[in-house]
Amino acid sequence: MRKNETLGVFLISILAWVATFWLALRIGVAHDVTPEILYGLRLPRAILATAIGMGLAVGGAGLQALFTNPLCEPYTLGISSGAALGAVIGLSLGVDGIFGGIAGPAFLGALLVTAILYLIALRPDTSSSTLLLTGIMLGFLGTSLVSLWLSLSSSTGLQGALAWLFGDLSRARFKGAVFLLAVVSFLSWMIWTHWRALDAFLMGEESAQALGVDVAQNRRKIILLISLLIGFCVGAGGMIGFVGLVVPHFCRRMVGALHIRLLPLSAIWGATLLVVADWLSRVLASPYELPVGIVTALVGAPLFLWMMLRRGEQR
Amino acid sequence: MSDQSTSRAHPLLGVYGLSYSWRNQPQPESSGERKFGRGPTDRGSSGLVQVLNQVSFELARGEIIALFGPNGSGKSTLMKAAAGLLPLGRPGCGGQVRCAGIDFLSLSTQRRAQKIAYIGADLRAEFPLTAEEAVSLGRTCSGSGLFHPATRKDRERVQWAMEQTYCSDFRKRRLDRLSGGERQLVAMARALAQGAQVLFLDETLSRMDLNHQAAIGSRLKGLAQQGFGILVVSHDLNLATEWSDSVLLLKDGKKLAQGPLREVLTQENIGQLYPDADLVMGKNPKTGAPKVFFSVSG
Repeated sequence: MRKNETLGVFLISILAWVATFWLALRIGVAHDVTPEILYGLRLPRAILATAIGMGLAVGGAGLQALFTNPLCEPYTLGISSGAALGAVIGLSLGVDGIFGGIAGPAFLGALLVTAILYLIALRPDTSSSTLLLTGIMLGFLGTSLVSLWLSLSSSTGLQGALAWLFGDLSRARFKGAVFLLAVVSFLSWMIWTHWRALDAFLMGEESAQALGVDVAQNRRKIILLISLLIGFCVGAGGMIGFVGLVVPHFCRRMVGALHIRLLPLSAIWGATLLVVADWLSRVLASPYELPVGIVTALVGAPLFLWMMLRRGEQR
Repeated sequence: MSDQSTSRAHPLLGVYGLSYSWRNQPQPESSGERKFGRGPTDRGSSGLVQVLNQVSFELARGEIIALFGPNGSGKSTLMKAAAGLLPLGRPGCGGQVRCAGIDFLSLSTQRRAQKIAYIGADLRAEFPLTAEEAVSLGRTCSGSGLFHPATRKDRERVQWAMEQTYCSDFRKRRLDRLSGGERQLVAMARALAQGAQVLFLDETLSRMDLNHQAAIGSRLKGLAQQGFGILVVSHDLNLATEWSDSVLLLKDGKKLAQGPLREVLTQENIGQLYPDADLVMGKNPKTGAPKVFFSVSG
């Protein structure tokens, strides 16, 4: 791809994010946009949506390359299920513990799964497929434990837990959102610095090793970074699906599969998609608010199907 | 003595006493093929399966060695272990690999890829990489700066590699839209782009048409004349014998024979290697290279 074309794609993408950000700030249910509404409610939400969208898309793109599997997404590794379990237990026990906009129990749950995955990745003979299957199993285990907890616990706090499970950005506060944006930007940058290794992983582990990439070391580092990234995102916004799956596919169509360009573009479009989805969740069923995870799934699933079918036709 | 003269005193590649074992079940070397004869399933008291047993050979500059053996004889394992792609620190594994006198296995993964390029039978194409992008991945081991995907030298090397393997015409096409043979040409180009002097081709020519097999064969001879050392695994004995200098026969993870084509590719050795097939040795009437023919009785 020519340099000018790439620059054009990035410029248009940034403009798209700016436009959606403006839309999210200016257009809503309330006609009179007071400074309280603008700075106290809408701005933190738009920043939070930007941060989480960025993180999920970068995490998804990274995992898809790491496991040479285009169907991987941030939730494949079971980190979100760990977060969900933590959140449900915390919320139903009344232990909310929000630190800097991040739900403490959810983040702890995500960290627990991350630690298990990292310890398994440390074993010298662990293959990527072992790691992937471990993640999927941890995911199933977490989901089952969430269901078990919900069916055994009283209804107190259940509503909040369920809302969180489908994605919820309504608790956004300015400081927490800015903090999360800084953390997500830093972790995304750290993942981006591994673009050469991620490119090599596109053709499989053995191929990456033959190309001169220390597979075990890079896998450990990237898994840790992505797990932390997803843990922060899920801890702050709950389970928001499809962003991490759809956005990297969409971006590969524009700039190809090499990560030096793919990761930044995925970050921009992840942010854009989630800002739009959050805005839609506020205005579609006003005065009620839809969980943002449902909106991303409603938009993402048909979009993904369309992309898959178009790809099939082009072959 | 200078470094260069030291390296000239040693073979380009020396593999000494290379062993490898699997834990539990032996891993199939190639999928979808029925295994005849006895494979490397010797289980010791430890329950290890010895896939490769004390194999040694040397590859000189400008030499092409054809590696033959039945399925499961350890050909791919030998290549991967010698290329540093398999861990040798486990029980039942070990050996030495020296590249121009240097202890190859003690080098970093990046430096290893600069010395030996291993190419498998196919390139995976799950992601929309173009042929040129796939070849440019061969420069991963050269590791230019964080913000510079490719230096001028990288680009020139990629272009040269694609010309060498006849890939330039489809450089912008995506891998998933190329035929199996075209993908193998891309894989070869990627290996050449690595800049390694030793090439390991593991069934890399199996899907190419006769035109490309002949063209790549003569290109390999040309590369050998430039000082490359090449080890080729192929089940097509007649193709590989056309442009290789010597052969290495592997059976049940052990070296059966090694040496010049005409000395090693004998009726007796071939009979030992493929006891279930009724094979007859002959010669290419034009080049005199040993050939193997099936003798199928009605």
